[in-house]
Amino acid sequence: MSVAINIEDVVKRYGDQTVINGLSIDIKPGELFTLLGPSGCGKTTLLRMIIGFNSIEGGAIKIDDKVVNNIPISKRNMGMVFQNYAIFPHMNVKDNIGFGLKNKKLDKSEIESRIADILKVVQIEDFKNRMPDKLSGGQQQRVALARAIVIHPKVLLMDEPLSNLDAKLRIEMRNAIKNIQQQVGITTVYVTHDQEEALAISDRIAVMNKGIIQQVGKPKELYERPSNLFVSKFIGTSNVIKAKVERKSDDVYLQFSDGYTEQIRNISDRATNNATVLVSVRPHEFIISTDQDGIKGIVQNNMFLGVNTHYFVELEDGNKVEVIQDAEVAEIIPEGQSISLKVKTNRVNVFDVENEESLIEEGVANEVG
Amino acid sequence: MKLGKKNKFNTWNGLTIIILVFFAVFIIFPLFLVLKKSMIDTQTGEFTFTYISKFFERKFYWVTLMNSFKVTVVSTFLSVAIGLPIAYLMRRVKVKGSKIIEILIIISYISPPFIGAYAWIQLLGRSGVITSFFNNTLGLEFEGIYGFSGIVLVLTLQSFPLIYIYISGALKNLDNSLNEAAESLGYSNIQRFFKIIIPLIIPTILASSLLVFMRVIADFGTPMLIGEGYRTIPVLIYTQFMSEVGGDDGFAAALCAIFIVVTLVLFLIQRMVARHYSYSMSALKPMITEKSTGMKNILSHGFVYLTVLLAILPQLVVIFTSFLKTEGGQVYTGGFSFDNYKNILFGKNLSVILNTYKMGLMAIIIIIVFGILIAYLTVRKRNVITSILDTISMFPFIIPGSVLGIAFLFAFSDKPLAWSGTAFIMVMSFAIRRMPYTIRSSTAIIGQISPSIEEAAISLGASETKTFVKVMVPMMMPGVMAGAIMSWITVISELSSSIILYTNNTQTLTVSVYTEVIRGNYGNASAYSTILTLTSIISLLVFFKLTGKKEVSV
Ligand SMILES: Nc1ncnc2c1ncn2[C@@H]1O[C@H](COP(=O)(O)OP(=O)(O)OP(=O)(O)O)[C@@H](O)[C@H]1O
Ligand SMILES: [Mg+2]
Repeated sequence: MSVAINIEDVVKRYGDQTVINGLSIDIKPGELFTLLGPSGCGKTTLLRMIIGFNSIEGGAIKIDDKVVNNIPISKRNMGMVFQNYAIFPHMNVKDNIGFGLKNKKLDKSEIESRIADILKVVQIEDFKNRMPDKLSGGQQQRVALARAIVIHPKVLLMDEPLSNLDAKLRIEMRNAIKNIQQQVGITTVYVTHDQEEALAISDRIAVMNKGIIQQVGKPKELYERPSNLFVSKFIGTSNVIKAKVERKSDDVYLQFSDGYTEQIRNISDRATNNATVLVSVRPHEFIISTDQDGIKGIVQNNMFLGVNTHYFVELEDGNKVEVIQDAEVAEIIPEGQSISLKVKTNRVNVFDVENEESLIEEGVANEVG
Repeated sequence: MKLGKKNKFNTWNGLTIIILVFFAVFIIFPLFLVLKKSMIDTQTGEFTFTYISKFFERKFYWVTLMNSFKVTVVSTFLSVAIGLPIAYLMRRVKVKGSKIIEILIIISYISPPFIGAYAWIQLLGRSGVITSFFNNTLGLEFEGIYGFSGIVLVLTLQSFPLIYIYISGALKNLDNSLNEAAESLGYSNIQRFFKIIIPLIIPTILASSLLVFMRVIADFGTPMLIGEGYRTIPVLIYTQFMSEVGGDDGFAAALCAIFIVVTLVLFLIQRMVARHYSYSMSALKPMITEKSTGMKNILSHGFVYLTVLLAILPQLVVIFTSFLKTEGGQVYTGGFSFDNYKNILFGKNLSVILNTYKMGLMAIIIIIVFGILIAYLTVRKRNVITSILDTISMFPFIIPGSVLGIAFLFAFSDKPLAWSGTAFIMVMSFAIRRMPYTIRSSTAIIGQISPSIEEAAISLGASETKTFVKVMVPMMMPGVMAGAIMSWITVISELSSSIILYTNNTQTLTVSVYTEVIRGNYGNASAYSTILTLTSIISLLVFFKLTGKKEVSV
């Protein structure tokens, strides 16, 4: 029942400015697919091309192998949830939700029962006769969602649907959206610039920058094995430090500052001997070492957060890095103290200094002690 | 929506063309004829400047332009001098009965100025009540308030409410923390008023004074009634056009053309000012009214009450005199009666009253339909043609009523558009003249509706037409109605073009008031005028009740 969306080489121009130039993505039936990227990278533009509010200047968008480029919006049968909800203020909750249904030639009883069902799914049965201005942000969000999915659209599109909510409600609503999406099983394209939200909600994510897809993958893949430096920095926190590749017979080592060297197993052959590389180290991929071996630095700030402790460490070359240590491991290290940092090279990512592409080979010895 | 561009011949393009044709026929064509006639010799059909130069050659003519300017500058200045302090006091000091005062101010604003003129004649005219009282008791020989001072008195009291309404709105958006910041820096009350409040509302003061300027300079009824020898441009235009002997179309057209140039320049200045000085203010913490005490309290109340009393006095006088017994409708004989009402309701043709409502309703329907469409097209379907529509739709702001009346007669007296003398032409002149109120407030409300609302409807499968009818129009209604109420009230009190276009069959209430006053039949005039005032007040109260608002969009 769910449909696939194939975006093939699409081009978007505003006047003579090309915003998207030959972009392709394949979205699988029933998945919650997220477009993630910084502000202005073209996420909204792409989403509006899918539904038809934006024209398409090149390429094709296919829904279940049927090109939809020239099908009018009202015939595309797609539901959309807007950033500002776009609830009709002059209609109550029920009329808002029923608006799209009344357009289809359905029985009264069919309409009623569909509305009743969806009210249950999004859990706003109690408010069905209220006017929108008497609803909280989260409730309005649920109305918008119900209104979009009650017409049984082929595709559900959401453009930053949570950005108008406060932090706590955002988390509650993103869980609700995820549950409802799974329950309904509808192919969904979700737009956000919040990487944490994307990780939490998506089946797969496409990271975009400047109108170009950087990487498509499951949340865990993107986080653990970003394919370039941009993705690595955009998703999660990354400390980027320089190192030198050292090849000794078959083994490869990364040489950091202060003479600290560590073996790395899953690096590509493209990393030639003596080449400088960029190493992206997540805060918990550092080990605060007790011996003298490691990258030297001074603790500038510590932040005890219960589960763990964050340290902001200034390295000797002036770089500042963030380090996370599980709270139960040790005493909190006082500010001003000199420490050494070791790197878990089986988890870090290494990038070419020139083109910033990943130099990690997947599938090679991942497990190292 | 980008899709609109592809299918060139959709409903919206069709409507744009219809409106464009409508404007071409009822605005561009008549105005073009005015310009043409002002520069083409009626006899020879050749191009000539004689009509225009005639105006500037004879003092008898050009002095009217000077008179218009003098009257207008002084009235505008006085309106600000009264409207500004009242607006400030009403926001700052707790004035008893402020709600009623606000409504009284709006009522005095919406009544036609010439009714004020005729009421003041009854009070301060040659044989006015107050004049007679002082002349008799003090043995004075006061000649009554006519000419320059009479016009200024009437127009000032009629115009300060506009200043008040605008400034009051601006003060509502002024954040009181600015005021408090200045206070904490050691500024006194008076200093703050001049150093903080005034500079922040300067744009509003300028914008509203220019509106007053335009209204006053184009007003015909007041100088006609109370001006006596003091003639202004609209009076000159009317008399030139209407005079049976020298009724010279060419010269009347030239006067119209000159007048349009004057108002056009004023309009452009206003646009420039509005664009140049505008702070976007939104008050997090609006000014609060505080109870004041002692002398300050008494003075504040005294000033507000006295001014509002003066402003509303003409209405009271008119209502009062409408119930007085008269001899032949002219001389008050003391005692009360309903004779005047009996006279106008049963003795005369009732159609005057019915005409006003019928033609007014037709005009307001046209205004609302076109107002909504024009506002929507110019905001949401912006292109070269709709921008032109936008500009043309504001022309009526700069065309004085008497000029529009004459232009209509020029345009619609001959076949194939021989509509002069019909109710249709009256309705069209009302619609054209009073449409800008509705267009402006409709445009403003569309600006507040997010485009994604429409996109939501379309994504749910609604067509563009259905989206417009079911979603946009209902959401626009509050804004449309706020403008439409002003359009309606000003339609039924329209005088300056009706007086040129009316015939016996299309006579309206305002025209009747005017003609009865001219005949000296004050009893009937008062009764007509009371009906008009009551209609306005009831319309306004119904509007307040329906919308839950306390303001109109002027
Ligand atoms: N109607 C338009 N005309 C011209 N340029 C536009 C238009 N809409 C968007 N753009 C440009 O296209 C680019 C992408 O915009 P888009 O709205 O898709 O970004 P986004 O990724 O959704 O950003 P955000 O996270 O801020 O919503 C931006 O550079 C923007 O300036
Ligand atoms: Mg966006």
